[in-house]
Amino acid sequence: MRKFVTIFTLVGLLFVVSVLTGGNVSAQDVLQGGGAESGSALVKGLQTFWHYTGFSNITSGNVIMIAVGLLFIFLAIRFDYEPLLLIPIGTGILLGNIPFVEGFQIGIYEDGSVLNYLYYGVVKGIYPPLIFLGIGAMTDFSSLISNPRLMLLGAAAQIGVFGTFIGAMALGFEIHQAGAISIIGGADGPTAIFASSKLAPKLIGSIAIAAYSYMALVPVIQPPIMKLLISKKERLIKMKPPRAVSKTEKILFPLLGLLLTLFISPTALPLLGMLFFGNLLKECGVTERLAETARTKMIDIVTILLGLTVGASTQASVFLTAESIKIFVLGAASFIVATAGGLLFAKLMNTFLSKKNKINPLIGAAGVSAVPDSARVVQQEGLKSDPSNHLLMHAMAPNVSGVIGSAVAAGMMLSFLM
Amino acid sequence: MNHFLEVVNWSQIWVITAVGYSVVFSALILLIFVFKFMPKVLKLQMKRKLKREGKYTEKEGEEEEYIAGEVNAAIGTALSLYFSDLHDDESKIITIKRVERRYSPWSSKIYNINNVLPTRR
Repeated sequence: MRKFVTIFTLVGLLFVVSVLTGGNVSAQDVLQGGGAESGSALVKGLQTFWHYTGFSNITSGNVIMIAVGLLFIFLAIRFDYEPLLLIPIGTGILLGNIPFVEGFQIGIYEDGSVLNYLYYGVVKGIYPPLIFLGIGAMTDFSSLISNPRLMLLGAAAQIGVFGTFIGAMALGFEIHQAGAISIIGGADGPTAIFASSKLAPKLIGSIAIAAYSYMALVPVIQPPIMKLLISKKERLIKMKPPRAVSKTEKILFPLLGLLLTLFISPTALPLLGMLFFGNLLKECGVTERLAETARTKMIDIVTILLGLTVGASTQASVFLTAESIKIFVLGAASFIVATAGGLLFAKLMNTFLSKKNKINPLIGAAGVSAVPDSARVVQQEGLKSDPSNHLLMHAMAPNVSGVIGSAVAAGMMLSFLM
Repeated sequence: MNHFLEVVNWSQIWVITAVGYSVVFSALILLIFVFKFMPKVLKLQMKRKLKREGKYTEKEGEEEEYIAGEVNAAIGTALSLYFSDLHDDESKIITIKRVERRYSPWSSKIYNINNVLPTRR
């Protein structure tokens, strides 16, 4: 055994020397006594090797981005913030910021590289509709069907989208870029990526990272706004339990939803079409196998590819710009505005509702899409005020209507600006 | 910045914002109306079917049938627990069978390979 290890090590060493010196040195040359020449060739080879390493090409931007990637991974593992998204994105950021010499089809922006091929799905907006298919196949719309008026909260929270649009214009973005950035306010990653792939492909990385970062931070961003806007008395309101929904209603929902929303906003077809198709697969009862694939394996595969490539698209040279900082500022503002919009609209609705039918205004915060995180935050905040008040099912209604609302809003932006 | 803000066609921006936001609202309001009336239409259809079969009787002051989702969930859970708790019919005879081990050269340890080969020194 030792003999084999020794032989393999010697052969390996000879191979490494030959590779380092660019194939100029072989055992024969050394034996013939070309010592000085082969020595300089070895140094030259080592210099070439050094030139190709990441250590030689690193920039401060790379270091910052690698730190950001590691932070994402840390947040996902330590605090469980959207780990299914932050781990692939964080790893993608690491991949995208390993310094390398261009020209070897390695980087995500180099034609013909593997990452470039995978990134094609982001640039052409292929992945977001597939994610929507999976979301449709895993979402239960029954709380929405049983209490349809809660859809208004999903619509109200879209103020985040249009408020961000105005904000982006005021910050000096070009109108198409402003349209793409505004979708961050919908708190819906796939929709934001889809819209930016059509309106401002250069900003995809920044927009996607901003959208997913703030979605992961929903449990941090929303509670203070809830406390600020909703009184203790309002937080104690108990809502009527949702009625049972028949199977026919569940089947009709995706069909009617698809037809009605897409006739109004056909530009949202790839997103809403897939969302309702996925839901039909789930509810029709005869395509369980397809629904199972869409909500498990398929969405997992697409999430991996989407997260990794979006992360890798944040190469420091492309990502670390003043525009990205502005996008992050706008993203934070949009989440705050969207949450406040939903909460205030819920309070407004309560003024028109009878005492028996009053809604707990906390569920307005779930109007921002971010399924199901914002609904979960509403549940937690509701329980803090009254441990017997479970708001999760009620919050799911504005939450899923927020998905529809943000897709319609994205469709509107596309139809205005494309 | 001031110069830029003057260049931007703000009337266009406000139009996009107003129209976009109202379209989002109108799309969802349309869905609200459809799904508000859908259960009534389905109920009407059910009434007609029952009337045709002669199983429907009109009641005075009939209240809208309302079953909360959590009641359904409780019934479903109870049924599931009941059915999962059912056992197959068993013979109820418990016996201890004596396992006989008859000799066979196939399983004999005498013919094990270690016993055939000479021991190594």
